[in-house]
Amino acid sequence: MNMVRLDKKKFGEFIRELSVEYSVYGPGKVGGKTEYIPLESDDGIDLTGHLTDMSPKSIFFPHSEVLFEYDQNGIRAPQKSQKPLAVWGMRNCDSRSLLMLDRVFGSAVQMPEEERFQDPYWKDRYDTSLIFGLACNEPLSTCFCNWFGGGPHNRNGMDVFVVDTGDIYLLEPLNAKGEAVIGKLSCFTDAGEEDTKLVSELASIAEAMMPAEPDLEGLGEKLVSIFDEPIWKDISAKCVNCGACTFNCPTCHCFDVQDECKGKKGKRIRIWDSCMFPIFTMEASGHNPRALSSERVRQRVMHKYSYYPEKYGEILCTGCGRCINVCPVNLDIKEVLKRILLYNGQEK
Amino acid sequence: MANTYIPIQMKVKRIAAESPDRTLRTFDLTFVDESEREAFKYLPGQFCEISILGKGESPFGIASSPTEEDYLRFTVNRTGSVTNEIHYLREGDIVGMRGPLGNWYPVDDLKGMNVLIIGGGFAFTTLRSLLIYLLDARDEYKNVTVIYGARNPDLFIYKDEIDIWKQRDDIQFHLTIDKPVSGWNERTGFVPTVTQEIAPSPENTIAIVCGPPIMIKYTLPVLTELGFPDERIYTSLERRMKCGIGKCGRCNIGSKYICIDGPVFSMAELKNIPEMV
Repeated sequence: MNMVRLDKKKFGEFIRELSVEYSVYGPGKVGGKTEYIPLESDDGIDLTGHLTDMSPKSIFFPHSEVLFEYDQNGIRAPQKSQKPLAVWGMRNCDSRSLLMLDRVFGSAVQMPEEERFQDPYWKDRYDTSLIFGLACNEPLSTCFCNWFGGGPHNRNGMDVFVVDTGDIYLLEPLNAKGEAVIGKLSCFTDAGEEDTKLVSELASIAEAMMPAEPDLEGLGEKLVSIFDEPIWKDISAKCVNCGACTFNCPTCHCFDVQDECKGKKGKRIRIWDSCMFPIFTMEASGHNPRALSSERVRQRVMHKYSYYPEKYGEILCTGCGRCINVCPVNLDIKEVLKRILLYNGQEK
Repeated sequence: MANTYIPIQMKVKRIAAESPDRTLRTFDLTFVDESEREAFKYLPGQFCEISILGKGESPFGIASSPTEEDYLRFTVNRTGSVTNEIHYLREGDIVGMRGPLGNWYPVDDLKGMNVLIIGGGFAFTTLRSLLIYLLDARDEYKNVTVIYGARNPDLFIYKDEIDIWKQRDDIQFHLTIDKPVSGWNERTGFVPTVTQEIAPSPENTIAIVCGPPIMIKYTLPVLTELGFPDERIYTSLERRMKCGIGKCGRCNIGSKYICIDGPVFSMAELKNIPEMV
């Protein structure tokens, strides 16, 4: 199916039509910051196209989530969602992050024959979801998606690719799911050749704004080889272990499990956790295998750029730059990686 | 689709104190639902998450052997909020359980081989599972040697069974404690040292080590020095865990998750993993 046009004046109508079959999410302002919020019309939506402050992982893997509830009568799993999810406005860095998280939660890559390694809560939301990706026309100074195989106009992880051209959105369905929804809704008109041309012009402009890519060949092995080197002490010296990087990261997925109860009723919930916190690995005996800040910073870098790639063949970072934006001490992961690539046992 | 996060119900059948200081107790659990008992297939070395609703869950190695069919045994050291609550359980109480989780000792590779089992303190749980498993088909394995160490004589678990094992002539069972105490007639000395002194020849022998991190750390090099190749040294590792199914990220070391890629690793695998103990 070809590209279609959606007049921005009709955007509210589009969301309302989409809401008949889907629970729709899109970027909105909450307390001065942008994050993905449930939408029924265009009320509250942030259509600037800017990278949201919080990543969309919270739609599929909420900050806290009930695993089950219990009382005298036994244990009950929560209700499955009624409608599938549709998400508007995800940049390539965010749509790709879902593919990465799906390897952990969804597709049981490690042991494909075993259903017990699939996460039912993630699968309930992600497997049926519809992702409207948004072309990134104005990359930020902190963006570096091109380092890891992403790009401002790349389309992986999306069902429909959307380009903001001013008054008009251009929508390009990328698979059967995307075609079906575009075919069903009424608020579109056909796009023309000049639209296709405009998209490729916008793509070239955006791509030219991306930073130079370092040669990342051998990064994973390099990281393993410098595991015991003092460089980690230096890299982590200013880190305050606040965990803001992990909470804002679209690919960080570590969680804690806690029970909350009142009398004989209660629930077991999971909550985002962070490898930056000492308690993350603290054992009941008092032994902590990762007691030092430098060991925890190293774990975060190793997991993203060495361990996950060793397991799945792709770096667990989409270059969205959120960790750089939120870091209170300006620890820039781009600089850390460049420094590690140059490191040869001693510096300067 | 089955929901792996939801525990099944188990009934506490028997509770036994293991140490006079009351920090160690053994719990035998039986399945409330017969179909769940039939579906539960495990091998020595695997673990389960035991749940106390309202308090949380913690991982414990299975101390019973799959050849002992009517119960699952766990020995619990009272040390945190969940284990504290487990110690308050009474016979007949119901607890939650998820499992079996993780991998197992290489029981098939042990056939026709000599087996050296090295354990320390209350980590003897999955080693008991393994030992019973071997003894229940004794003819399939050659010499079985056990070296079991504890800080003091009180801290050995399964003392009644140790007496029986020591009397058998088809296993060599050595006990050692850290420091001499009066009335102790067995060996004295740390596990690595004792291993150096009395370990059998590495020829056709597989060594299986489970104990506190410090014991593992100093015992593995001794085995290497004695001539055990990396492929025939196995150990079981521990980390703080939550989900037990490779999602929550807590037990990640190197590209492995202890809960699904382990807890049992060969020395050959560990060589490529930083921060193993």
